[in-house]
Amino acid sequence: MTVLLALENIEVAYDRVFQAIKGVSLTVPEGGAVALLGANGAGKSTTLKTVSGLLKPERGEVTRGNILFQGQDIAALSAPQRVRLGIVQVLEGRRVFGHLTPAENLIAAASMHRSRQKVAELMEMVFAFFPRLGQRANAKAGYLSGGEQQMLAIGRALMTEPKLLMLDEPSLGLAPYLVDEIFGTISRINRERGMGVLLVEQNATAALEIVDHAYLIENGRVVMSGSAETLKANPDVQEFYLGGAGRVDYHAVKHYRRRKRWLA
Amino acid sequence: MDIYFLLELAVNGVLIGLMYTLVALGIVLIFKSSGIANLAQGALAMAGAYIAWALLTLAGVPLWIAVPLSLIAMFFIGAGIERVALRPMIGQPVIMVIMLTLGLEILLRGLVPAIFGSVVKRLDLGIPQAPVIIGPMLINTAYLVSGGVALGLVLLSMLFFGTRIGTVLRAVSDDQTASWSVGISVERAIGLSWGMAGVAAASGGILWGSVQGVDWTLSLLLLKALAVAILGGLDSIFGVLIAGMILGVLESVIPAYLDPYVGGGSRDVVASMVILLTVIFRPHGLFGREDIERV
Ligand SMILES: Nc1ncnc2c1ncn2[C@@H]1O[C@H](COP(=O)(O)OP(=O)(O)OP(=O)(O)O)[C@@H](O)[C@H]1O
Ligand SMILES: [Mg+2]
Repeated sequence: MTVLLALENIEVAYDRVFQAIKGVSLTVPEGGAVALLGANGAGKSTTLKTVSGLLKPERGEVTRGNILFQGQDIAALSAPQRVRLGIVQVLEGRRVFGHLTPAENLIAAASMHRSRQKVAELMEMVFAFFPRLGQRANAKAGYLSGGEQQMLAIGRALMTEPKLLMLDEPSLGLAPYLVDEIFGTISRINRERGMGVLLVEQNATAALEIVDHAYLIENGRVVMSGSAETLKANPDVQEFYLGGAGRVDYHAVKHYRRRKRWLA
Repeated sequence: MDIYFLLELAVNGVLIGLMYTLVALGIVLIFKSSGIANLAQGALAMAGAYIAWALLTLAGVPLWIAVPLSLIAMFFIGAGIERVALRPMIGQPVIMVIMLTLGLEILLRGLVPAIFGSVVKRLDLGIPQAPVIIGPMLINTAYLVSGGVALGLVLLSMLFFGTRIGTVLRAVSDDQTASWSVGISVERAIGLSWGMAGVAAASGGILWGSVQGVDWTLSLLLLKALAVAILGGLDSIFGVLIAGMILGVLESVIPAYLDPYVGGGSRDVVASMVILLTVIFRPHGLFGREDIERV
């Protein structure tokens, strides 16, 4: 099993003072699917931006550690250069180009491909994975439904022909049946195209269904890691991440407090 | 007053307005791509006209080479300004960047005439002096040709936004971070929009310079272009097309009625009134883009 991505002891600070992640190490194997789970503010998005190179516009900086992609240290590369190497991040909150149509969103994301033929083929692949986008190809993307926008955001990332597809909370704000549909497609992309997947989620139930391996991150540190089965079977994970998904009530609040204590 | 006289004023106004549109196009391009108001656009128009004059008169280059050559030169000057002066400012407050463009405007206004001499230069594009007569109306031939060329260039830039590169520019204008995340070189896209702004400014400056002569006052096109861009909505190409024609008509019709009462000079006030009234009553202009809201 060859390693596609390896983070070694990464530390990241925002504005030179605030340490958002404090020594994260993780690996994604070639063609593997890995989840990064954790609560709000744990440092999940920061970890993905460290890999994609999107820390800079937010005044974030890697202060320690190595980022290796296919064995190459990519720390010095700009975000567009990393995309050309095969790393792409689907941003939290979808961030589609709202004033462009879905088709134009896909074309804009193919700026690295010279051949029109290639762009057309990639678009065909995206519409095959997400047939619904084809039906709405001429509406402005800003008016698509949340689920359709998420599909478009993933499709847009696929236009760059990634080797590693990183997704930041794709289930956010979506109805359960849509989460199932989108996660099913992510899993198909992973298996059929042999594309490495690094999936950030708060919805651990859905995530653990489609990954082989998962990391649990709290307060900027990896506190647990193992195969999806191991994590599913872990009583703490069951109680705090798997049980709470459907219940948003008084119990959830209490759980949250208990979890805080467990971490402290 | 005679209806044909009014119509004649309006037609000439529309044609002049199209030249304003051309210069304003550069402000819109840059605002769309990077959210910066480019206050150096007037000086770029002036510089373009000076370069065309220098090539024609000083270097003796034939017209059909001199004009395209000046446009190419202004593309690189525009892109160069972005690369050298603006890119290092990334991350600085927007107001500082806008002040920088204003500084450039003032610098170029002084520098370019100092190099070429400040006497008014004649820029002859070979357009006949005699007016075109349509029915009872006299249309200035230089306006007719210039307006036509300007309209063509504006329509061309609309088509450009439908191409692959144009689509990338629109993506950058929508969301810079998202553009970055899918491998778009945002810096290069912004550089391209500055290059195109240089070309738009120079085309406007050359056309207008052929009408009124080339000297530093060409840079006053900045005020007209700003008025047009603001009235049009700052980020709409169609908006500046309409707004340019509106300003052109207002500028030629209003003085004809008002000047006898106020003792002249009302033409120069129109553009500033348009800016003030738009900002107060319709801050997003006529065609400013709606923000799509969906939760
Ligand atoms: N641009 C920024 N500037 C300063 N601090 C930041 C910035 N972005 C994130 N942080 C801080 O870094 C920490 C980790 O944030 P991050 O966005 O990585 O968390 P997350 O796990 O993705 O959370 P969520 O589930 O809410 O998206 C948080 O405490 C957050 O406040
Ligand atoms: Mg996050």
